[in-house]
Amino acid sequence: MRLPAQPGERLDRTRPLTFTFEGATVEAFEGDTIASALYAGGRRVFSRSFKYHRPRGLLCCTGSCPNCLMQVDGAPGIRACIEPARAGAVVRAQNVLGSLDRDALAVIGKIGGPFTPVGFYYRTMIRPRWAWPYYEKVLRNLAGLGRVDRHGRRTRRFDTEHRRTQVLVIGGSEGGVTAARAAAAAGEQVVLVDEGLSLELGGLDELGIEVVAPARAIGIYEGGLVPVDAGNVLLRFRAERIVVATGSLDQPLVFPGNDLVGVMLPNGIRRLVREWALRPGERAVVIAPAVEPIVDDLRAAGTEVARVFDLNERPPKEIVARGRKGRLASVRVDGETVACDLLVMSSGRQPAYSLLAQAGARIEYDAATGIFVPRDLPANVEAAGSVAGTSHAVPNLFPASAGKRRFVCLCEDVTTKDVRRAIAEGFDSLELAKRYTTVTMGPCQGRLCHLASVRLYARETGSDEAAIGTTTARPPWSPVTLGLLAGRGHEPVKHTSLHRRHEELGARMMWAGAWRRVHSYGDPAEETRAVHRAVGVIDVSTLGKLVVSGPDAVAFLERLYPNRFVDLKPGRIRYGVLGTDAGRIMDDGTIGRLSEQQLYVTTTSTGAEAVLEWFEWWNAVWRMDVEIVDVTGALAAVNVAGPNARELLGRLTELDVSPDGFRYLDLKEAPVAGTPCLLLRIGFVGELGYEIHCPSPLAEHLWDTLLERGADLGVRPFGLEAQRILRLEKQHIIVGQDTDSESNAIDAGMPWIVKLDKEDFVGKWALEHLQERGPRERLVGFELDGAAVPAEGSQVVVAGRPAGRVTSARWSDELQRSIGLAWVPPALAEEGSRLEIRLNGSLQPAVVRARPFFDPEGTRLRS
Amino acid sequence: MSFRLSCPSCGPRDVNEFAYGGELAARPQERPDVRELGSYLYFRANVAGVQREWWFHRLGCELWFQAERDTRTNEVLRTDACVSETQAPLADGPVEPADAAIPPEPAV
Amino acid sequence: MKDIFRTRRMWRPRGELKRRYDVVVVGGGAHGLATAYYLARNHGITDVAVLEKSYIGSGAAGRNTTIIRSNYRTPEGAAFYQQSVELYKGLSRELDFNLLFSQLGHLTLAHSDRALITATERAEVNQLLGIESRLVGLDEIAKLCPELDLSTEVTWPVLGALYHPPGGIIRHDAVVWGLARSADRRGVEIHPYTEVTGIERANGRVTGVRTNRGEIACDAVVSATAGWSTLVADLAGVPLPITTHILQAFVTEPLKPFLDVIIVSSQMHVYVSQTDRGEILIGAEIEPYTTYRGTSTFPFLEYSARHVLELFPQLESARVLRQWTGLCDISPDFSPILGVTEVAGFLVSAGWGTYGFKAAPIVGTTLAELVATKRTPALIAPFALERFSTDTLVSELAAAAVSH
Repeated sequence: MRLPAQPGERLDRTRPLTFTFEGATVEAFEGDTIASALYAGGRRVFSRSFKYHRPRGLLCCTGSCPNCLMQVDGAPGIRACIEPARAGAVVRAQNVLGSLDRDALAVIGKIGGPFTPVGFYYRTMIRPRWAWPYYEKVLRNLAGLGRVDRHGRRTRRFDTEHRRTQVLVIGGSEGGVTAARAAAAAGEQVVLVDEGLSLELGGLDELGIEVVAPARAIGIYEGGLVPVDAGNVLLRFRAERIVVATGSLDQPLVFPGNDLVGVMLPNGIRRLVREWALRPGERAVVIAPAVEPIVDDLRAAGTEVARVFDLNERPPKEIVARGRKGRLASVRVDGETVACDLLVMSSGRQPAYSLLAQAGARIEYDAATGIFVPRDLPANVEAAGSVAGTSHAVPNLFPASAGKRRFVCLCEDVTTKDVRRAIAEGFDSLELAKRYTTVTMGPCQGRLCHLASVRLYARETGSDEAAIGTTTARPPWSPVTLGLLAGRGHEPVKHTSLHRRHEELGARMMWAGAWRRVHSYGDPAEETRAVHRAVGVIDVSTLGKLVVSGPDAVAFLERLYPNRFVDLKPGRIRYGVLGTDAGRIMDDGTIGRLSEQQLYVTTTSTGAEAVLEWFEWWNAVWRMDVEIVDVTGALAAVNVAGPNARELLGRLTELDVSPDGFRYLDLKEAPVAGTPCLLLRIGFVGELGYEIHCPSPLAEHLWDTLLERGADLGVRPFGLEAQRILRLEKQHIIVGQDTDSESNAIDAGMPWIVKLDKEDFVGKWALEHLQERGPRERLVGFELDGAAVPAEGSQVVVAGRPAGRVTSARWSDELQRSIGLAWVPPALAEEGSRLEIRLNGSLQPAVVRARPFFDPEGTRLRS
Repeated sequence: MSFRLSCPSCGPRDVNEFAYGGELAARPQERPDVRELGSYLYFRANVAGVQREWWFHRLGCELWFQAERDTRTNEVLRTDACVSETQAPLADGPVEPADAAIPPEPAV
Repeated sequence: MKDIFRTRRMWRPRGELKRRYDVVVVGGGAHGLATAYYLARNHGITDVAVLEKSYIGSGAAGRNTTIIRSNYRTPEGAAFYQQSVELYKGLSRELDFNLLFSQLGHLTLAHSDRALITATERAEVNQLLGIESRLVGLDEIAKLCPELDLSTEVTWPVLGALYHPPGGIIRHDAVVWGLARSADRRGVEIHPYTEVTGIERANGRVTGVRTNRGEIACDAVVSATAGWSTLVADLAGVPLPITTHILQAFVTEPLKPFLDVIIVSSQMHVYVSQTDRGEILIGAEIEPYTTYRGTSTFPFLEYSARHVLELFPQLESARVLRQWTGLCDISPDFSPILGVTEVAGFLVSAGWGTYGFKAAPIVGTTLAELVATKRTPALIAPFALERFSTDTLVSELAAAAVSH
């Protein structure tokens, strides 16, 4: 049923559309909301309440209350009163068993009521203990409102935009429009964000004001960030001035039957009549301050106004609404009963100050107007219109009357009796009572219940609103979906310049920090064999690479590392372990001296950024004459390792690669395959090897040439898995896997790198103390009898207790043994010590091996 | 959002562009005993008030600089790139808080 | 059952402060109230005042994400939290107050082989200590949490998980209220809105505290003021190795049952559970900078939402209802600081990082024992403040934060 066209109505009656509600077709016009279309079709019950499943009808029509929460196209918690009706939308009720009109769970409200007072669950279901999980299951099933599809996927695409403006006006209320016009007239750039509830926004764009609507400000965050929910786009606004013009909210009266279907707030009536041409009821009673506009709206709709009580004139002492089947039938006011199907009620309007409170305003009770008002606004934040505190509300109106439940909080079904009981039980501060009764904690976020609950509190505790104060205004101001917040949802991934080659080779990739690296090309054991017998190539471009140069470059590293570098000659390399000032291992890598004043430092793949920051920090402290350049991305690196590595390299370079011409730990610069390269003769994998660093854009060429020219030498690319086996055979550690935040270089079996006779270096004092104290545990190699390989993380067990841990373990094809590294008590750290390692729940014997399993003398490495 | 810091070379930026480096802690001038070492390594003033602290412009110019920030409000009072020329610029240590009172209940 | 019809006061209204108590507990949160409760219950020490500067449970106790578990990495930590879980299991009955403890089970997802190693290590340590904890593969994860996106199309596919069946969630406020009620009934005085402004000492001993309501003499002061530990210890002249950071969380509007297990992903920096009210509760990591300003940030919502949807894409349309922030004490090794200090009679429960709430009952029993017997129980000896002066840390960190 629609009224004749209303002036300024939102409907476009030339454009009808349909959607479905609970499977039935609903007719609507463009401009309708889901709720207005349903109302036009005769629906009066829009939801069932959270706890008692009482029928609830439209109340505010502004998206402020929980009464019309529905499931729309699978999305839960949609405020049907502000959700535009869309053709084909699938709308369902929430939190009902059966239908909205016949909800089987309403029995809870009817019989369960007395058994489920506030906090009942804290006092019941305690014994027997075993029964609680069953009770809980029932409770969990009763709780909750909407549903999400358990197996749903992401279906929508959201974007994020960063926006700047001089003036951001939040809210198209009269105050907001005035402020926007004034700012535009003064030549300022203005954006006005409106929830779409205002009808008076026409003509603003002609003034150069950008209107964003329908859109909701999510909050005002630290630093003045105002994120705005504009449907599929999240607008992150920063403005020089923020004008909050969110207006004020109708506050319900609290009386028996105040939640009946047919009890509505004035603004809701206004919207139903003026915007959607609906008659809100046949016979109405009005109880409110400022009754004239309400009466006007009702008359315009042809609703009979049976009785009007103007609260500004004489507050009634008694109000009782009575209903039939949850729907309003009559109201008794001070002994006079009036039959009606509509009760328009309000105690006045409270500023919607939440955004201002989030921004840092102090919220204070103003006894003269009976409302909470914002004071002491932060710099650059202004309040315009009624949010500044120009509205008023009738104070302390709790008409006394026995009998039915009076709801303070509709979201959570909290009654005055619940609050009274909470106070009597000792929950005598507002915050405590809020947590106990859950008043203000529901979907309305206190919009309609905060003021009433504070009033009730004041009354029950013999205090006043000013002394009770407010609870914290927590963001978000309007509920926002995870999808919008997430945006496109991309995670950062790093690829090396050889990534495409690995894909072409069918490599199995894995994560190493933010890098995608090659796990293997199919057969890790075969790959290790190639390195041991022929030659292998591995992409190690992910290594961190820093060039440290300047007059103080050597002195700088000398102070950073426990190693000595003053005697490192140009063209030579040293392995270094980087420590914190607590002597704990932070990273490792190689340091090559390019020239007197220039060094090339490599770091672990995942530690690159932290090492760069660490270097820069110490340089900020020491202010030495050094320059640090991060070339991690600029240079790719390939390690060529195996007995045929020399032969292969020799084919690609003019360089003298003979054992004496290019010794172990030599550093050379030379073209390889026509590409300018830096060559490091090092051996993480334990065979003769060269790490070739080249400009990233040329990496594919280098890689291709190595594979092509090495084909007859049995060259084979290998991945991280093979590398892990190979380095384990040499007992080379991986920082972060074989070490943890407490490991130091001495206990980790590398005392030879720690030069305590140096004057000072980062971690020196700590390492001195650690050395004096002696190790708490030591990192050692071990081998296991039999073929079983303990999982990394397995425990070394002494007397049934965890006493150490396996950090690395693999089967070595080369050695035909199960080998690993483990932290063990110092007493068990000697060569040949017997260990017990827990493996699949039982203890396996293992033997400590203090020296590398493979090529302990390093002859192959140095060959 | 979170608060903003003014990078001495890039200007005001959101805090999420920076890495926090902690309050200034004085490194001992001479070999400390284990107790003094622990005090330097682990103990922090953690003031509720103005704190002098390190920041690194990670998503920007990669400069380490110092800021004075009120940890009760996150208001950044000043930032500066220039630390002392000596090898112990940290010796001046954290600034005494203007008001050491326990801060009020968190606002949110 | 009859209890639900009766309105009985939970605790006495706040009375006047006496001039003297045997023990003053600073902080009316879960740790402070548990200490007071066990002092009275286990040791008959009832001349105890709990001083709380706001309302009880207003700090970390009322702001945490209510997860209870014991699957820690260090044997010291795991053994300690195991006893806490045991105490929690019996606490509803003991306090005659339903704390709504649901041992739903706790899954820590591993998205990398490094994370699998850490998970294995925790499972092995836990099993040796008799804690139910094991590594599970995708099949079992799918059974425990069919809603989780286990596909390989996501950026960080799940490789496995550490499963800890006794892990669960509890109603945090109920823990506070239940402990407060029982402590009060045994004679402990609870004084909300009573702020400690000074701690009096003589000859290296605590002699009393100053408050905004007057001075109190006492023999022992227990500080249980997570977030503000440094400031309270400062009053006693005790330096602490702590920095204060914020930790944030949010809930969605209540949904019908969706998630019957707790999901943690360190890779995604997020943990997810569903409360008994139906809200999806999502927490993340601490913010990296120190602050005492407990303000919620918007980037937290953005990155948490992004990460949650990587795990649960179907929550796309769930709506954020409320976000909040609490203060945390972060210690250098992520293990707590518990027990005596250099000032005799001044005891601390501090440095809990994000783990404090899980420990409330065991902190209460051990600190009460320490106060009563003046001997540090073996269970908490590894967590002594002294460890930072002897450099014997108990690291809950698997790898150095800098190289992780």
